[in-house]
Amino acid sequence: MKTTKKLVLLSLMLSQALVLSIVESWIPVPVPVPGVKLGLANIVTMVIIAFMGTADTIILVILRCLLSSMFSGGISVFLFSVSGGLLSAVVMLVLHKKFSKIFSVVGISIAGAISHNIGQIMVASVIMKEVSVFGYLPVLFISGIITGCFVGLCSSFLIKALQKTNIFNN
Amino acid sequence: MIKKGDIILVVAVSAMVLVGILGFNFYKNTHKGVRKIAVIKKDNEIIRTIDLDNVENPERITVEGKYTDIILVEKGRIRFENADCPDLVCVKTGWLSEKGDLAVCLPNQTIIKIEGETEEVDGITY
Repeated sequence: MKTTKKLVLLSLMLSQALVLSIVESWIPVPVPVPGVKLGLANIVTMVIIAFMGTADTIILVILRCLLSSMFSGGISVFLFSVSGGLLSAVVMLVLHKKFSKIFSVVGISIAGAISHNIGQIMVASVIMKEVSVFGYLPVLFISGIITGCFVGLCSSFLIKALQKTNIFNN
Repeated sequence: MIKKGDIILVVAVSAMVLVGILGFNFYKNTHKGVRKIAVIKKDNEIIRTIDLDNVENPERITVEGKYTDIILVEKGRIRFENADCPDLVCVKTGWLSEKGDLAVCLPNQTIIKIEGETEEVDGITY
């Protein structure tokens, strides 16, 4: 892929991820547990993983976390989102590159959602020096399965549609 | 479209959730009936310890920080009553009344948790 085209596509994806995370903040969450959310921006991460390389994915996730925490304020927000974002991106990359025979996009997305929550809880327990936040993990795992399933279905439809358009081919 | 690994993953995670919930219930039921001590922490420091069984009159505690949390204490229970943080997860958590209950305000780094105390407590410590 030509560098210019790649740059344009990646910027487009980044802006879409940012819009999705803003849209997501408008959706009320029924469970009063910190960290439960839809994770719509993960749709974009999933698409990048499917069509682009490892380095692109990592850079995009870091940039997304940086920019979205600028919108919603604060370095601690950035730490939370980047820890979850990076861990989930790495897990999804490994699963997609090495184990795509046994994991579908839905499964990879569920694994991504759950590792996102694990990363956030780990940072939360370090920042607040409080082990009891790990008590939230069961709830976060259940919500991760549900939201990961939803996000995974969305991404697999999007990936199929994008494959037909040939946008990501040379 | 769903592959073998997906099902294994979901089953494994569900099993972990089950074990976690069982373990948590076990912890809750140990030393049942002891005093319920609410601990309020802000920025890694304990700012207040309250023996919930000894609360006579309802009290409001204001925790200042990046945001302001207002904590309401009544006999046997405690909650974030109001806050000006953006997500209000802490307020939505509602009342905490059992050992092991936890409410967190991540934006303000405030935590309320209820611990059981097996030893006798002399009173309220500040």
